[in-house]
Amino acid sequence: MKQETHNNKIQAKVFEELCDAIGRENVFDNIEERVCYSFDATKEKSIPDLVIRPHSTEQVSNTVSIANQHNIPICPRGAGTGLSGGSVPIKGGIALDLKNMNRIVELNARDLTVTVEPGVVTKDLQDEAAKHRLFYPPEPGSAGFSTIGGNVAECTGGMTGMKYGVTRDYVLALEIVLPDGSVINTGSKTLRSVAGYDLTRFFVGSEGTLGVLTKITLKLLPLPAKIGTVMSYFKDIDSVLNATDSIIVKNHLHPRSLEFVDKTCIGAVRGSAEETIPEEAGAFLLIDVDGNEKNVANDISRIEALCRENSALKTSIAKTDDERDALWDVRKSVSPSLFKIASMKFNDDFCVPRSKVREVLKKVYELGKTYSIQVAAFGHIGEGHIHLNVIYNDGKEMDLSVHKLVSQILKEVVLIGGTITSEHGVGDAKAEFIGLELAPHEIEIMKDLKKMFDPKGIMNPGKIFI
Amino acid sequence: MSTDWKTEVDKCSKCGKCHTVCPVFLETGDESMVSRGRISLAEALRDKQIVYTDKLRDYVYSCKKCMRCRTVCPSGVDYEVIISALLSGVAENMGIPLLPRIIFRYILPRRILFDLMLKVSSKIQWLIPMKRRGQMRHLPLLFMGKRWIPTLAKKTALQKFRKTKKLKNPKMRVGLFTGCLINYIYVDIAEAVVDVLNRMNIEVVVPQGQLCCGTPSSTMGDFKSTKKLADVNKEVFESQKLDAIVTACATCTKAIKMDYLRTLGPSWQSMSDKIYDISEFIDKYCGDEYETKPIDEKVTYHDPCHLLWVRGISDEPRNVLKKSSDFVEMDQAGACCGGGGIFTIIHYDLTLKMLERKVASIERSGADTVATNCPGCVMQIADGFAGKNSKIKTTHSIQILQKALVDSGINKEK
Ligand SMILES: Cc1cc2nc3c(=O)[nH]c(=O)nc-3n(C[C@H](O)[C@H](O)[C@H](O)COP(=O)(O)OP(=O)(O)OC[C@H]3O[C@@H](n4cnc5c(N)ncnc54)[C@H](O)[C@@H]3O)c2cc1C
Ligand code: SF4
Ligand code: SF4
Repeated sequence: MKQETHNNKIQAKVFEELCDAIGRENVFDNIEERVCYSFDATKEKSIPDLVIRPHSTEQVSNTVSIANQHNIPICPRGAGTGLSGGSVPIKGGIALDLKNMNRIVELNARDLTVTVEPGVVTKDLQDEAAKHRLFYPPEPGSAGFSTIGGNVAECTGGMTGMKYGVTRDYVLALEIVLPDGSVINTGSKTLRSVAGYDLTRFFVGSEGTLGVLTKITLKLLPLPAKIGTVMSYFKDIDSVLNATDSIIVKNHLHPRSLEFVDKTCIGAVRGSAEETIPEEAGAFLLIDVDGNEKNVANDISRIEALCRENSALKTSIAKTDDERDALWDVRKSVSPSLFKIASMKFNDDFCVPRSKVREVLKKVYELGKTYSIQVAAFGHIGEGHIHLNVIYNDGKEMDLSVHKLVSQILKEVVLIGGTITSEHGVGDAKAEFIGLELAPHEIEIMKDLKKMFDPKGIMNPGKIFI
Repeated sequence: MSTDWKTEVDKCSKCGKCHTVCPVFLETGDESMVSRGRISLAEALRDKQIVYTDKLRDYVYSCKKCMRCRTVCPSGVDYEVIISALLSGVAENMGIPLLPRIIFRYILPRRILFDLMLKVSSKIQWLIPMKRRGQMRHLPLLFMGKRWIPTLAKKTALQKFRKTKKLKNPKMRVGLFTGCLINYIYVDIAEAVVDVLNRMNIEVVVPQGQLCCGTPSSTMGDFKSTKKLADVNKEVFESQKLDAIVTACATCTKAIKMDYLRTLGPSWQSMSDKIYDISEFIDKYCGDEYETKPIDEKVTYHDPCHLLWVRGISDEPRNVLKKSSDFVEMDQAGACCGGGGIFTIIHYDLTLKMLERKVASIERSGADTVATNCPGCVMQIADGFAGKNSKIKTTHSIQILQKALVDSGINKEK
């Protein structure tokens, strides 16, 4: 995809100013360090002019206000695991790495809240909560390495969305450094609050385009006693969808996760997975339920029976945590394993009303055939969410057809009543498609709001809107 | 060095999962100190966006080559191909500092010179100012240990076992690859290996012509020197009629079993198949046969990176220790102890942080002794306890078995 190299465009005077304000040891201008902060998990690349690695809100505020004075773009960065180019500094400027701000500031078990700095890794927070028998539900495939800051900035979803929703549903309050360097606090550390406009929600999913999140207060839940897991292989997607409807709509069961993976994805993980996957498998469903021991056992056996009723080829129930991890490893390795098929992929995360999944998948595969480009699909199917992956090898012509294919698919998605992105964000990867879903007037309102917070447009330019 | 690194880098999906296990990244959170970042540097070199600089060398040297990242990579990136290419690129483009170059090219291949050099340097170690000694630990043997070189053995392992003790009707005949640390410093580990195996009715040959495994030179990208050493070791071990080759050093096992397949090519495969870590060997060939009287000590086990993360060996040493002692597990047994290679010189502070974590895990386990299967880790961990007034002892797991082993009449002709 796009590759740009920026010369070091920061003037010596500004460089000195930044070093004085936040310490020379936190400012990196050497090309090697800058290369290491030039990409995210889309593999898109653009080298920033500086990397800054602050340790405190004050250092963030100083950095941002100096950048603002000199019109230098700021690209906030968590772990760089994003899938829409969000932390790729496409306009150069400063890559602001927040991984050093990684303290869990306060976990208040009685209040069911935790306040963290943005660089805390999602799983570290979950582990800390679990020590108090508490639970932070959002579980992206990247939970072990993505940061809470990145999760909030993208409104990340994940595997537990079916029952527990997405990041947005857990964010109570934020400390934010605005582009002029001022620090604001939104929301409240209470479990409910409706005082004034909901600025917290406005910043969730803002993709680093409005300000830098420096503290985040999240809601926690009591930790479910038990999780049960079933893996079920089917010959085709129709059977998968029948089973899903049977579980949720006909039998009113409420799984924690309902993950689907198609044939191409299975091909990519086969062999590297511990689990033996049936030769004729054309799709699988991975289902988690949680709750107390008795209910879990009960639900799991009912779900297994329902899968069998809907012509499952093979089902396996995890008996131990290790077995559960092994099953989930298969699911989690799908996305990166697709690079084994070709060196490039375009990743979309559209979502349609649940009842429209069959229709949209049919269209997706048809269009793939028309363009002779390989498409792979997996996702949180219980919610009508699909990770569409268009897999190809680099090359100009290919780029063009991939682009056509993707825009065709997204048009269909919107036509059916869906959304072009449901958890990875728009970034720059999908910026050109946003017009498919939002009307010009709606886009204008959003741009006006952005201008109010970031009049000079230094915050993550080139993202969301072209 | 092969050029396949140029395509290997494309396999990296930039997912970031290597963040979760890299011991260096876990300390620094710095993207330039983890495989994903270094892969992006390799890519930039390939695409001529950067050139070799001092900074780049530092970033390349900041990798511990523990290979743990490779065990979790969902895209199947063979990071070792990439880091080796970077190391040799650094060596080719920036040269290797004079002193190590002399050591790798002229001294390591000549056992007599190496012996002599160490003797001399052990005499003159007081010449190096105290402050710098700490920082120079683990530079290929010459400047070892906080006590600088933990006293050099009077007689090296090779000298000690010049003659093979013949057994009447041995079950097997194995060769011991000593490796430098055991040969010069931890001769007692070699003694334990030979003693234990002999008592299990296995004849042990210590081939005299063997040289350094080559890890110090490959760590600095000097693969030419490694090749020279490997050629000699190949000849020496192939000329013996051996059922197996054992080592008690995790790094040497990795080098001669795995790395030599690249250095020497497929012709090494049949020898490679015969190479075992000492616990692995005992577990495989003597697992049910030997009797022990477990020692009255709580013993825990530290997994050396090169054994666990490169070879997946974790049960075998534990099986041996469970038979020989009151075994207790520590948390994070597979976390790097921080020792080894050029890394400890460039990033001395990080080495210490990793060591501190390791020491804390060992203390939490409540063990009296920590055992491991690598003399490098023994040295590092012992160092961690050295200044602490701790009663916890550091040893090689074979030495625990040596104490616990009960002679069952298999071989009484001592
Ligand atoms: C293997 C894999 C699996 C994944 N699984 C899922 C999944 O199941 N569900 C899902 O939704 N996503 C998933 N993702 C995508 C990605 O992990 C998430 O989007 C994640 O939230 C990104 O976090 P990060 O810390 O890496 O942020 P980055 O990628 O570094 O940044 C993401 C965005 O957040 C902004 N940002 C980061 N920190 C701040 C801050 N403190 N203040 C303001 N803006 C900030 C950046 O500017 C950027 O726009 C997956 C990615 C991978 C590689
Ligand atoms: S885990 Fe593998 S694919 Fe992922 S970033 Fe690291 S090296 Fe690349
Ligand atoms: S080999 Fe070890 S130190 Fe080097 S990048 Fe991989 S995990 Fe980190």
